Amino acid sequence: MLTIENLHAEIEGKPILTGLNLRIRAGEIHAIMGPNGAGKSTLANILTGRPGYDVTSGSVQFQDQDLLALSAHERATAGIFLGFQYPVEIPGISNLHFLRTALNAQKVARGERELSGAAFIKLAREQADALSFDQEMLKRSVNVGFSGGEKKRNEMVQMGILAPALAILDETDSGLDIDALRAVGDGINRIQRAPNKAALLITHYQRLLDYVVPDFVHVLADGRIVRSGGAELALELEREGYSAILEEAA
Amino acid sequence: MIVALPSPREEAWRWSDLSALPALIATTPRQEPYEVTPYWIGRGPRLTFLNGAYLPLLSMPGSVTVGPMTIESDHALGRLVGRIGWTHEVAAGANAGETIEILNVATGGGNHLPARIVLAGGAQASIVETLVGDGWSNRLTEIVLGEGASLQRNVRMMQIGGFTSLREVATLARNSRLVSTFLGVGAADTRIDAAVTLAGDDAFADIGGVLLARGHQRQEAAMVVRHVGVRSVSRQTWRAVAEDHAIASLAARVEIAKNAQQTDAAQSLRGLLMARTAAINLKPELEIFADDVKAAHGATVGALDPDALFYLVSRGISETQARGLLTQSFAAAGLERIKHPILKERFGQATSAWLE
Repeated sequence: MLTIENLHAEIEGKPILTGLNLRIRAGEIHAIMGPNGAGKSTLANILTGRPGYDVTSGSVQFQDQDLLALSAHERATAGIFLGFQYPVEIPGISNLHFLRTALNAQKVARGERELSGAAFIKLAREQADALSFDQEMLKRSVNVGFSGGEKKRNEMVQMGILAPALAILDETDSGLDIDALRAVGDGINRIQRAPNKAALLITHYQRLLDYVVPDFVHVLADGRIVRSGGAELALELEREGYSAILEEAA
Repeated sequence: MIVALPSPREEAWRWSDLSALPALIATTPRQEPYEVTPYWIGRGPRLTFLNGAYLPLLSMPGSVTVGPMTIESDHALGRLVGRIGWTHEVAAGANAGETIEILNVATGGGNHLPARIVLAGGAQASIVETLVGDGWSNRLTEIVLGEGASLQRNVRMMQIGGFTSLREVATLARNSRLVSTFLGVGAADTRIDAAVTLAGDDAFADIGGVLLARGHQRQEAAMVVRHVGVRSVSRQTWRAVAEDHAIASLAARVEIAKNAQQTDAAQSLRGLLMARTAAINLKPELEIFADDVKAAHGATVGALDPDALFYLVSRGISETQARGLLTQSFAAAGLERIKHPILKERFGQATSAWLE
């Protein structure tokens, strides 16, 4: 589904990614872990087309398309979803209006029929219920006045509605209490664990991986993947810390 | 008609460009078809004016009267209005019922219309005014609210060309409420001059709106809210958006008289610049002579938040559409005081139509 080859990228001339390789097949859940400043969020931002990053070499193929040639909204339409570490507050625009606009923009771009208002509200309610996300909050302005946990649940509601092929979740577990962490973990399993879907979890900690058991764990350091393994690698990292692993890799 | 117009050298007019007005009033209105139906909102009384002349066949005036009237004004544009206009008087304790709609259609030239809204003690009314077409539409509106009276006033400035100028003078008695919203969503230059006096104790005024300007448009609001009675409350919330080479200006002044103790006055003026070539002028002013008051003001100009833009785009919304949504989000606070659901919807629609 996603093939990253020898990806080099920089921000304002400063190299961040230095030859990253990663392959994600349909049906797989991958986790990328690593110390601060390793380039984890940069990877998420480059894959989803946030401005301000320069790819200096390498390639990214997503479902037979050159991902880097697509603009950010085209990548969403192609089936990529970014779960934000810090979801943005947008006063004056209701969650429902925002999501319906997004879903229908994607449908129109794919040549599909737009969803009617009633059909959309039904879908939104189902997804909100599945996340124990108060339906009243669908009517409120996007993320305004939401707690940290509510914002992350809202990200999962959005993921459920937009139904992407690949979800890239950037520290979706940060700032969550146990209940919210479980709800978000259940959401990822329910929405993305399917033969035709995949997820890339970017995280600092093992604890999300107790709920969403990854098929592959990668350690990102100094802009490239220095070690890959199964779910047990996350436990090893938790036990021994990054420095031991990094020394070993070096 | 030869008129002496204020020059940009005068402080109060320095952001205005009135240079097109003499040519506008030198022309005569065009004889051409025009539409009224798209602008009606509810089923209440409605009045249509074509180039300042009342059209009884396109009106159902209810208790609003049209006839000779005189309003004294020393305002540079307000004093130019004619001697025939509309009056809405509501008797003590009465509720005028459904929203009254005033539609002003202009087809070129200049038209100058006075209006008077007088609500006696405890009376309530809601009035929507809409200005469409082109030419120079010049209005002087006097508002007198008796004790405990309540007026909701909403104005849509939708002319596709020319100039719209509004002079509003309001006096609020004890416990009365004035809630006024102005929306500039046309392609004409506009100038709103409002003078609101909270004369009685415990009076309340919430005034503001949204000015959306593009091309070489200039839109401007100049407000003076004067607190005279004690414990009176005022809110001024304005949002201005300027694209291309447009200029949007907001000047809002709060005056608190010596005896107006426990006044609570707040202003929020915000501008959104959509292009480096556009300009937004903000001028918040406070003049306080009482000592026990609360007065807050905020004035900021900025561009769209790139993080918010990326958030929307990452969900599959095109950049153009995302900018429109965020601009709508920015403008929303300027329309928040409209509580009537249908009016809220129509003013929101007018805003999003402009943005698309």
